[in-house]
Amino acid sequence: MTHLPSRRTALAAGLVAATMVAAAGCSGATRSTSGSGTATDAAKLTLTPVTAPAKGELARADWLLEDEPDSLDLDTQGSSAGRVVLTNVCERLYQLQPDMSTKPFLAEKAETPDDRTLVLTLRSGVTFHAGTPMTADDVLWSLQRHADPDMEQGDEFGNIAGMKKTGDRQITITFKAPDALFSKALAGDAGIVWNKEQVEKAGKDFGTPGQPDACTGPYALGGWKSGDSITIERYDGYWGEKPLTKKVIFRWATDSALVNALTTGAADGAYAESPNTASALNGKKGIEQHYGPSTASLVLIPTERGGLKDPRVRRALSLALDRKGIAASGYGGMVQPWGTPVGSGAWGYEKPVFEAAQKAIAYAPAAPTADDLAAAEQLVKDAGADAATPIVIGTDASQGRTVVANAVRAALQRIGLKGQIKTVPTAQFEQFYSDPEIRGEIDVLVGDWYISKADPMGFYDNALSDSSNNWVGFKDKAYDAKVKQALGTLDDAARAKLTADVQKTFTDAAVWISVAQVPSVLVLNEKLTGPPASMAYLYYPWAAELGAKEG
Amino acid sequence: MLARISRRLAGLLATLLAASFVIFAAVYAAPGDPAVFLAGGRDKLTPEKLELVRAQYHLDEPLVVQYGRWLGDCLQFDLGRSFKYSDQVADLLTARFPTTLALVAYATVLFVVLGVGAGILAAVRRGTWIDSAVVGGTTLAASVPSFVSAIALVALFGVQLGWFPVTGGGEGFAGTLHHLTLPALALALGALALISRVTRQAMADAGAADHVEVARASGVPEREIVLRHVLRNALGPIVTMCGLVMAGMLAGTVVVETAFGISGIGSLLVGAINTHDFPVAQAVLLLMVTGYIVVTTLVDLVHPLLDPRVKEAAA
Repeated sequence: MTHLPSRRTALAAGLVAATMVAAAGCSGATRSTSGSGTATDAAKLTLTPVTAPAKGELARADWLLEDEPDSLDLDTQGSSAGRVVLTNVCERLYQLQPDMSTKPFLAEKAETPDDRTLVLTLRSGVTFHAGTPMTADDVLWSLQRHADPDMEQGDEFGNIAGMKKTGDRQITITFKAPDALFSKALAGDAGIVWNKEQVEKAGKDFGTPGQPDACTGPYALGGWKSGDSITIERYDGYWGEKPLTKKVIFRWATDSALVNALTTGAADGAYAESPNTASALNGKKGIEQHYGPSTASLVLIPTERGGLKDPRVRRALSLALDRKGIAASGYGGMVQPWGTPVGSGAWGYEKPVFEAAQKAIAYAPAAPTADDLAAAEQLVKDAGADAATPIVIGTDASQGRTVVANAVRAALQRIGLKGQIKTVPTAQFEQFYSDPEIRGEIDVLVGDWYISKADPMGFYDNALSDSSNNWVGFKDKAYDAKVKQALGTLDDAARAKLTADVQKTFTDAAVWISVAQVPSVLVLNEKLTGPPASMAYLYYPWAAELGAKEG
Repeated sequence: MLARISRRLAGLLATLLAASFVIFAAVYAAPGDPAVFLAGGRDKLTPEKLELVRAQYHLDEPLVVQYGRWLGDCLQFDLGRSFKYSDQVADLLTARFPTTLALVAYATVLFVVLGVGAGILAAVRRGTWIDSAVVGGTTLAASVPSFVSAIALVALFGVQLGWFPVTGGGEGFAGTLHHLTLPALALALGALALISRVTRQAMADAGAADHVEVARASGVPEREIVLRHVLRNALGPIVTMCGLVMAGMLAGTVVVETAFGISGIGSLLVGAINTHDFPVAQAVLLLMVTGYIVVTTLVDLVHPLLDPRVKEAAA
């Protein structure tokens, strides 16, 4: 899963065209006026996955989302906003922890008698919010629903040979080929356990306003007033620990409205999806910001058009790029110069191995030194690159991307090449990812990416020879073989080593050029504490740990 | 009268039908691919998945067939389900329309009371400093776009002084009034200038009529002259302009809705257009067109009641 950036730029259409244009102007203007916070030094951002534990009870908390959830049925429509709410209401067979590791959860035990079999033993004493106990039939039915190719998580089940109930509290899953990422998927939306009876009863309306939830989590859905708010309430029959906060009310706002609501105390907290919102809120009185690891990153994605066909030219561009400058002027210091295409939140196991591998990345300086530039110029000369034809940089008009695009042009200039920026409306921007024809108009895209599973191997299949996300036409049989081997290696230590190898090949060839990692940002009223700051907030019951600082 | 109303109704339906097709075609032609938004994440944007999505939402059919499908459903009072939200379009509209309507109503009260008041004041004190102050002040107000005034209002009265809430629509009558005051003011400011100008001019024209001179000469008190003779004759253009401005506002709330984090139909529409959510965009735009037509028709019907001369011309 990847996320769509906020779709702020409006398109003119129909009879109210003029209004629409004004709206587009508005969102741009509000964003820049709200950016009055102090800038942060990117190098000094420390990422901590957790916040201090809460001590006191809270009758209610007001929480902000960046958008109204599309649906609360994550199988048919999975958006970040829906996940932030539902993760407190619904539980999964595995659980992603704040430190981004995963552990069996509604399945209290997971065994692998061989590397093609996964036996899940279900936790007993778990009840749905409707009061009925969770059964193996509910779990099997939920897995089958997730596996439907029409559903959001359908592609996670590609390696599955069969799923069966093999006991009162036991499910056995067999695989066509070993699949190291499947248990990670079960900590995501593919592992949600639904109450079969309730989902079937709601039919097409399941997940829409006015429908109850069908889950087992620490909070139950209190109500969803379409266009206004969503309320979740503490579930008294919860099998686990009782949350400190009784009730959380979610509302949604963007840009300056979000910043104003948090500044004035109208809202107690939010997970800021965009670094620009975080930088606007930085240093405001009465609120604290916590930065945590996330898998998100800013990247440059070269295309098949050919301007960056030669890996030597891509390496040269990467060497000449001023990542520190981009972080400071485009994102208020809220992103960190980074050399791999996934953020440190992806390190869900063997963290020291990944950390060392990240530090060893070549060709990705935070700010280019004279030596870097000399090496880059030499690479361009060796490649015999065409200095006359400009390299076209695709972007939309958002503040951050505009800065990145200009930095790329400056870097190209520094190494004796020409850059030309092509700006498209945001609604069209996403088509660069889907349509090779539209992509044919640019040489490199100013993009961003995140992976939902805390495992870097969840990313590197994007550069397989036959992947639709391998735009530059990178082909390496050894790479393909190693990726497949790693994806089938269940042992974490062995997989981490393979991943580091794969990552080196990927970054040496500069299949994508990494710019920065984007931390996850928790904005919280200074009297409150408890929830994780890491990207786990999408899959972990964060509200259950929210409470007052003082008991 | 009955014939006239039924003629109007037929015209309204024809206009709606034409508008619905134009809107459908415009949303269809807007850049961007709806399937991209419907497919889910970026890693799902493979050609096969996009084909599947297009077939599922009938996006692979020609424009006319899609429009026909929509019209057929619509005639059976089924506005369809939103692409983005899995919810029924009708439910989405019912939940958000009252907020937008309250906002427009509040703004209308503000610009009518303040705008007409300022216009009358300027007209009766023509040539004095009061007149200049009204004209100058309203010129300034008219030149500030509503998103700028929205930001200024929220920064001063919301964030700095803390008198008004900065986001949301509020609950109950008092809550709604409290929450919507700043947005309504932002929305009303531009209109206020226009209305005061129209009022001032209409009053000036009406004041120049012969019968006003006669009344004045025969010693009728000034207060009575202004209310009975000048204002009454000036009401026609004032009411027409108020109606038009209010109708226009129905389509113009999106800017302040965004600035104040209010989930009304304006923000629903922008979201729908950006994600190519055809059923929602189509329904909201039609609702706005209908609102516009209804308000302007009402103004047309009220006009002859205010001004007997128009009635004679119509008959």
